[in-house]
Amino acid sequence: MNSRVDESLRAHAQSRRSFLQSAACGIGGLALASMLHDDIARTNPLAPRLPQRPAKANAVIFLFMAGGPSHLETFDPKPLLNRLHGQPRPAEFGQANYQFIQPDARLLGSARRFRKHGQSGIDVSDLFPHTARCVDDLAVIRSCHGDSVVHSAAQYEMFTGRVQPGYPSMGSWILYGLGSESQSLPGYVVMPDPHGALEAGQPMYTNGFLPAVYQPTMFQGGDRPVRNLNLPAGVSLAQRRRTIDLIRNLNAASPDRRDEELDARIESYDLAFRMQTEAPEIFDLSRETRATLDLYGIGREPTHDYARRCLLARKLVENGVRFVTVVAGGGPGNMQWDAHADIEENHLRLAGQTDQPVAALLTDLKRRGLLESTLVLWGGEFGRSPEAQGGRGRDHHNLGFSMWLAGGGIKGGTIVGATDAIGLRAIEDRCHLRDIHTTILHQLGLDQDELSYPHLGRRERLTLVHGRVIGQIV
Amino acid sequence: MMILRISVVAIGLVMVLTQALSAGEHWSLKPRTRPAVPGIDSKWVRNPIDAFVLARMRKARLAPAAEADPATLIRRLTFDLHGLPPAPAEVTEFAAAWTQAGAKRDAVLERWVDRLLASPRYGERWGRHWLDVVRYAESEGFEYDRFRPGAWRYRDYVIKAFNDDKPFGRFLLEQLAGDESARNDHDSLIAAGFHRLGPVRRNAGNKLVAFSRNEILTERTDAIGSVFLGLTVGCARCHDHRFDEIPQKDYYRLQAYLASTREYDVVLADAQTQADWKERTTRIQTRIQQLQKQVQGKQDKATERTIAELRQTLPPALPTISTVKNHTKERTPIHVLKRGDVARKGAVVGPRPLSLFVPKDAPELPAHVINPRTQLAKWLNDPAHPLVPRVLVNRIWQGHFGTGIVATPNDFGVNGAAPSHPELLDWLANEFVHPSPPGRGAGGEGERARTMKRIHRLIVLSSTYRQASVAADEPARKRIDPQDRLLSRFPRRRLSAEELRDAMLAVAGKLNLKTGGPSVMVPVEADLVKLLYDPGQWVVTPDEKEHDRRSVYLAVKRNLQLPFAQVFDQPNAAISCPRRESSTHALQALELLNGKLSNKLADAFAARLKRECGDDRTKQVERAFLLAAGRGPTMREREVALEFLRTQPLREFAVGMFNLNAFLYVN
Repeated sequence: MNSRVDESLRAHAQSRRSFLQSAACGIGGLALASMLHDDIARTNPLAPRLPQRPAKANAVIFLFMAGGPSHLETFDPKPLLNRLHGQPRPAEFGQANYQFIQPDARLLGSARRFRKHGQSGIDVSDLFPHTARCVDDLAVIRSCHGDSVVHSAAQYEMFTGRVQPGYPSMGSWILYGLGSESQSLPGYVVMPDPHGALEAGQPMYTNGFLPAVYQPTMFQGGDRPVRNLNLPAGVSLAQRRRTIDLIRNLNAASPDRRDEELDARIESYDLAFRMQTEAPEIFDLSRETRATLDLYGIGREPTHDYARRCLLARKLVENGVRFVTVVAGGGPGNMQWDAHADIEENHLRLAGQTDQPVAALLTDLKRRGLLESTLVLWGGEFGRSPEAQGGRGRDHHNLGFSMWLAGGGIKGGTIVGATDAIGLRAIEDRCHLRDIHTTILHQLGLDQDELSYPHLGRRERLTLVHGRVIGQIV
Repeated sequence: MMILRISVVAIGLVMVLTQALSAGEHWSLKPRTRPAVPGIDSKWVRNPIDAFVLARMRKARLAPAAEADPATLIRRLTFDLHGLPPAPAEVTEFAAAWTQAGAKRDAVLERWVDRLLASPRYGERWGRHWLDVVRYAESEGFEYDRFRPGAWRYRDYVIKAFNDDKPFGRFLLEQLAGDESARNDHDSLIAAGFHRLGPVRRNAGNKLVAFSRNEILTERTDAIGSVFLGLTVGCARCHDHRFDEIPQKDYYRLQAYLASTREYDVVLADAQTQADWKERTTRIQTRIQQLQKQVQGKQDKATERTIAELRQTLPPALPTISTVKNHTKERTPIHVLKRGDVARKGAVVGPRPLSLFVPKDAPELPAHVINPRTQLAKWLNDPAHPLVPRVLVNRIWQGHFGTGIVATPNDFGVNGAAPSHPELLDWLANEFVHPSPPGRGAGGEGERARTMKRIHRLIVLSSTYRQASVAADEPARKRIDPQDRLLSRFPRRRLSAEELRDAMLAVAGKLNLKTGGPSVMVPVEADLVKLLYDPGQWVVTPDEKEHDRRSVYLAVKRNLQLPFAQVFDQPNAAISCPRRESSTHALQALELLNGKLSNKLADAFAARLKRECGDDRTKQVERAFLLAAGRGPTMREREVALEFLRTQPLREFAVGMFNLNAFLYVN
């Protein structure tokens, strides 16, 4: 089945490729085309491209749980932690740096109940009753770790592989590598949480030093989420069409020398017009059945907002969008998963908003046959401390935490790695964030070294240090 | 897109070719040669630049393009030197003078170039190039992304330095060590703010002091490498540089010049004023914080309004210079760090130039040396320095032609591109450092050494620069030199984000040419402001006339890049940007078709046409082309436009003009 996806991808890319080659006569002879897909990029840098290796997935949805959900309350049960509740951390577990709590903090047991689910019998806490039903599709990585314990730097690392801003986000890298399948939608979409900002802000999503064509399209709230898709007041679509025709005719009448770039610009107006006419239909959720809306939890609180965005993510992927980030959490810390004050109150609330939509997305993708080719990633920029902050909260924690992957050829019903007995540190099959990146690229048929871009004397890639593919789940 | 792609391929090829060379033999690290100007008997050769360029062309069996027509030339020059379109009257005046001058055209051109270089618009355009290179932004990035107080002063300093034609040696010294050499001179202090232009991570809670300090030192050291040396020294932070002979130790020796450099804000107000300001600010801030606690997680519109009102009553920041100074007591001991990890300290090192440039056993300066950055500047300003002058003249060349003689302006290392005209590069660098005897009325060598306007003049008066953008034999050029590296025509380019916005304002008759001062915040979509961690940081400048100022005066906030600028490839200011990308995609079309700026200015453009031409459609079309394209319409263009206007509104025609290739590109 994976090869089928792969074949159709290739066939599609092949037909586009030959079309473009015949359309852009006289180009060629550049030996580095395999590295830069130069022949296609010249005319349309977003044209879909062959992946470098056999691919199992062709799209990614990142369900970003901003602020850092606790592994200890979700996918990584630690009975010992409950037994040691209120005590200092035993010395044998080693040291950890936290952002706020001091070394003398006391361990905090978890109030959540865990139960084994599905045929795979993976533990999921009672925070996620809906996701638990999909557990046989999930590969739960319990041994994630990253390099920073503060939000901004950890978020940069999660998205760009670096703890500093300025580098391309994985969505931009992947769009650069594979182009877009859609002729009427942007190839890389971010749906921020309408409640507000994240610490790392805009730079974590953007194209860094890659050309602006690979930038994310940040969706706004409402029915017309793409900037500038709305016509200016008083201008009809027919009017706009006539203006585009004027532009085309005047460009054709110009005495200036023609070249591929000018032709590409003329083409870009047709794409812009298609986006205006076709995209709004895709954004229109009212065409979905009542059953589908109910499945996601649309029209009900507390799920409505995240459910809407998850359903939109499905529709985007269905229509050829390459990478979609759906952010859960935004604004002040407690509006994210950033449960410094009260882990129970915070996580019950955030899980209540997201669990059903997340499970619905998996179910919906699966029943449409899209989960085979769509890789879904769930997780935050880090996890939370085994120690209590201020009695009932947990601080940031980057040494060991959980994320999961599903679809896109990922082996479901798998657990990878383990943290120690109190969930402080990943100790088995440790997976750095860069290993997650590498695995995602791998499923898309991309190689971390080949997907590179020359910048300031280096061939930059998504992974700063070489990552490894998590072998047990691919 | 195409231009970008080609250069990328070029870089790739050159990387492969040069990796075999060992760094010691690498051309850019060897002393500059004194190349003889090729003796070519051709009327085409106006100055030595042309001789070098023509020699190279002939070797490849290419011939120069014809001279551009006067309308093209004046539009090219005005965008190049001012970042703005020429006014219709200027186009007409120049074309008339050009046609009348006959054989004396050179004199006409010289007069225009001198006029353009003398205008304050010049510094606004070329200062912007420099701001890209030095990663200029006004906020600190990361979570808090706070505005640095008085950050805009550095921008004004740069613009003024370009306008005053400040010798580059001084420009370099002031930015690296202005605080050391002239403690009480505001300009020098502002210039030294160079060290603070990069992103700074600040966080609440446990600070990890040593780690954070190391981040800052790293950022600053890398910037010096990229900006002045044109080397990616950062590679050597974790290991010996793989391609350039930069041992890890050298990297930390470079960092050691900055060991005692600390942030320093100079408040330009007396003690009493400062005390009053602080008292008042603290009082209001405390009140705001109390209220914020009350409303956290709740819907309380009334209190939120009170908070917003309180914010308005905060006194404006006192005039401040954000600079650096040496805190010798807080000097960070600089160790070689294994894998760049601050916890894995190796040997202690002191300041010393890179081993590439000094004998291997040259001693380090003592770690506590007085004015260490002045020492660094002195080394970089050495007239014999192989890199600094080459790197700078290459940046100037790139500014004029779109691509440098070295296509990787921040990387003159083994991984960088090989120069297309190595002798010309050295000739220009020599001329920059040791100007040839002046013509009439110019100053002595000392005053003219390392001045940039002189180099601009040489370049834009050359025949090379005056070529049309269509080669004499296009098929041959395409076959032999598809990347335009040999300059057998003038490479066409798309306007940069700033030029485009400024040109739209100018064409619409709205451009506000006010210079200098605090940066302007223009209105942006509420959704974007909401993505700021503190949305209160975006306070739209109340005076709407300010919104129409040149783009170089708009606030540069790291976590809120203006969408218009972002779509048209403005860099994100996270790290030094040596050269802008130029991409082509549908979001640009949507921005210019449906964007607020475009439509607002199209209304103004239409109103202007109506004001200046009444209802005469032929005149309107004529005028619109002259304003937007710097030339009148062709017959066919006139027909198409008039046909459109027969049934369609003038403001839609104005939208169309903003979207034309004839407007968006410079020939």
